[in-house]
Amino acid sequence: MLHKVGDTCLINIDSLELSYGSDGFRLSIPQLKINNTEKVAIIGPSGSGKTSLLKLISGIILPQKGEISIAGVTVNQLSDAERRDYRITNIGFIFQDFELLDYLSVQDNILHPFRITQALKIDSQVRSRAQELAEELGIANKMRRLTDTLSQGEKQRTAICRAMMTSPKLILADEATGNLDPSNKTKILDTLFRTTDKNKATLIAVTHDHELLERFDRVIDFKQYCELEAV
Amino acid sequence: MKRSNTYLARKAFLFSSLFLALSHVNAAEQSALDIYTVNYPLKFFAESIAGEHAKVTLPMPNDIDPAFWSPKAEDIAGLQQADMILLNGANYAKWLPKVSLPLFKLVNTSSEFRDAYIPLSEGVTHNHGAGGKHAHTGTAFTTWLDFSLAEKQAKAVFKALSRKNPKLNADFVQNFIPLQAALLAMDSELTEISAALQGQPLIGSHPVYQYLKNRYQLNLQSVHWEPEEAPSAEQWDGLKKILETHPAKWMVWEGQPVAETVAALEALGLKSIVFNPVANAPETGDFLTIMQENISALKAVSSTQ
Amino acid sequence: MIDSLYLAWRYIVFNRVKTITLVLCISLVSFLPFALKILLKESEQQLMSRATTTPLLVGAKGNALDLVMNSLYFSKEKPDFISMKAIEKIVDSYLALPIPLYTRFQAREYPIVGTSIDYFEFRQHSLAKGRTFAMLGECVIGADVATRLNLGVGDSILSSPENLFDLAGVYPLKMTITGVLNKTNSVDDKAVFVDLKTTWVIQGLGHGHQDVKTMSGPGAVLSRSEKLVTASAKIKQYAEINLDNLESFHFHGDSSIYPLTAIIAVPQDQKSATILRGRYLSEQKNQQIVRPKQVIEDLLSNIFQIKAFIDAVVLIVAIAMVLAIFLVFSLSFRLRQKEISTILHLGCSRFTVVQLIVAEILIIVLFSSALCYSALLVLQYFQGEIVHQLFIS
Repeated sequence: MLHKVGDTCLINIDSLELSYGSDGFRLSIPQLKINNTEKVAIIGPSGSGKTSLLKLISGIILPQKGEISIAGVTVNQLSDAERRDYRITNIGFIFQDFELLDYLSVQDNILHPFRITQALKIDSQVRSRAQELAEELGIANKMRRLTDTLSQGEKQRTAICRAMMTSPKLILADEATGNLDPSNKTKILDTLFRTTDKNKATLIAVTHDHELLERFDRVIDFKQYCELEAV
Repeated sequence: MKRSNTYLARKAFLFSSLFLALSHVNAAEQSALDIYTVNYPLKFFAESIAGEHAKVTLPMPNDIDPAFWSPKAEDIAGLQQADMILLNGANYAKWLPKVSLPLFKLVNTSSEFRDAYIPLSEGVTHNHGAGGKHAHTGTAFTTWLDFSLAEKQAKAVFKALSRKNPKLNADFVQNFIPLQAALLAMDSELTEISAALQGQPLIGSHPVYQYLKNRYQLNLQSVHWEPEEAPSAEQWDGLKKILETHPAKWMVWEGQPVAETVAALEALGLKSIVFNPVANAPETGDFLTIMQENISALKAVSSTQ
Repeated sequence: MIDSLYLAWRYIVFNRVKTITLVLCISLVSFLPFALKILLKESEQQLMSRATTTPLLVGAKGNALDLVMNSLYFSKEKPDFISMKAIEKIVDSYLALPIPLYTRFQAREYPIVGTSIDYFEFRQHSLAKGRTFAMLGECVIGADVATRLNLGVGDSILSSPENLFDLAGVYPLKMTITGVLNKTNSVDDKAVFVDLKTTWVIQGLGHGHQDVKTMSGPGAVLSRSEKLVTASAKIKQYAEINLDNLESFHFHGDSSIYPLTAIIAVPQDQKSATILRGRYLSEQKNQQIVRPKQVIEDLLSNIFQIKAFIDAVVLIVAIAMVLAIFLVFSLSFRLRQKEISTILHLGCSRFTVVQLIVAEILIIVLFSSALCYSALLVLQYFQGEIVHQLFIS
């Protein structure tokens, strides 16, 4: 491990069950704990529920049974609005396809979460933070440019800036390096880890890149879910 | 006391008379029509009939033939502002086709007897290009020398005034009747004179007596002489040629001829009388008095028959 | 809402081709019915105002609408001619006062209206500068003629030949401008007014030339006698009338047969109007008397029937356009599903998503409204000119 994992449990999943789809997919997690500042990789075959787990943790979807609590807050018992607010202020998302808006500049993409919710407001401090993040990730000179002019690495760094704007305690990355070439994968993961460490955040990353797994604190295999690593 | 009362009464009477007279004048001035005419006879008719209800203007100078007046733009402006413009008709005013007058205000005093216009065939004809021959002649225009037509013209003036101001019709009628009677009387008198003349050949000094000749059956042929000018040798030759077939003893002048011409004519056996068409305003007299003089002169000719 | 508008604005600017197309479509569909209404209202006003103030019109028997359009609006369709005898008939009747019109000729693209000075009093026109015409060859021009050709009192304007090859007939006459009318906001602003006799000079019925009795020179006089002078074509005819040559101008033939295009008859009263109309209906075989108000009302009722049809067509087109726009927005919405999914994942509410879409539609509608409104303002400014060019000329 490259850092000391916190002793406090951040995420606690208990007796969670989720089923959906016409093919009767079922996700059943009897127990899962993730600690503060832990960097967890989730692997498994496609359709094993990895992305669903991220959606459950962030409150995008609700389980049929069980509890999900983050820092003592039982997310699945919040209202829709409360879950949205909680998500946008406490959780940072990084997607495989970057999910940047091509009609917005880099700066506007970074500030985008602040424009789509009443829970966040743009002020001078926010703008300064955006500038700082951009400088930190080496895209400050591209702030005014539209994102379709960026390289893959620059796009993902923009996405990371966007995710980090609210200084979230939890970062969920769904195949964050999936669309990158090998050199960029390493660089992005370095950036992600560095930023996570700086913010003392917890990282849960769904990944297919096995060569990167050794850098994580823990790897959870959804295929052999019953065989969880001891926490 | 008695003298003082009489004195005051006279003063009051004078004052009220003056006041009434002034009021009448003022009223007349306020509603007076502004009338322009193209010749003196029409001016006379309009003044006679309208009286104080009109201010009648003959816009051309006294010393020219009104038919051939050349108005300036400022002259036309006055005409354009008039309440009524009395035209003679029969293409009298040669200047009329060259100016712009309001049709609404024009009154053609001879429109009722257009059929009686006398066409002219005298004058120099010319042609150019493909248009064919045409003459600067047209229609004889001294219509008022036929007093039956003069009466019609006066009636036309009367009707125009009545239409313009029907409230004053009674005044117009009162004024028109004596004028009409005078014109008809002159017509009768000339008819009698004409009968007395029994076709005696006459020479007209200028081609202006067509209507006189036509109405009163005068045996008259005209030359083209001016009363104030001595005729040229050519003109004398022209006269002599006419006299060969038209042995006249009298020449009828439109104005007093120079003494030399009178003497020369007498040498040819021709005496002179004046029948003034009075197209323009006379220095003395008026239309009726001058026409009466004209008739008397012709009567004198008939009495020598 | 501000943030939603900002995001919507950025999206619209990025997709400017689509945005411009949508804006133009919406603007056009919105513009058409209002534009039609404005133009029809203006044409009704223009047509009716002149027609209402013109009690009766006398002209050659034929198309009453052509007669009215040419006499009141100086349209290019020329009716058959009548003669000056028609004026005499009206004068002699004492039922109406006549104002002659002869609108055959043009000075450049402006109609020359041969008439009497009564026309100005009848139409209640006043002069901005100068005086009305007093002599042959003088003219008064409308306000627009003065502005567009930069002409004023003392300048000249030339009449145009009727056609390029009419070399021996209608010839250009240089007319002196004596007055400029005040703006009337009618077709009279674009007309050149002359005395009726001046148009006859243009036609060649009257002319001025050197004195044939005194002229000399090789080839000038073909023959001369006491009573007849025959001049050659070398004789100089004047193309301009001024104080020096005015005396030489004259007319040939019987002026009672000289032509007119129409007569405005101003009756003394309603009874006179009725009697006069009755006389034309019963007596005249080759002339007609019309009430311009009636003719224009008939024309307008036809126009409004057509308008109702056009309105229906526009409505159908508008519905089709709305459906197409709805389709465009629906497809756009579908294409942006991933974007919407992302922002929902980030924490955006569905209400905010709706707000974003509404903001886009709002901006496009605002732009379309602004464009439509601007176009309508421009149309209103030029409506008089457009109506005159499209419907009246």
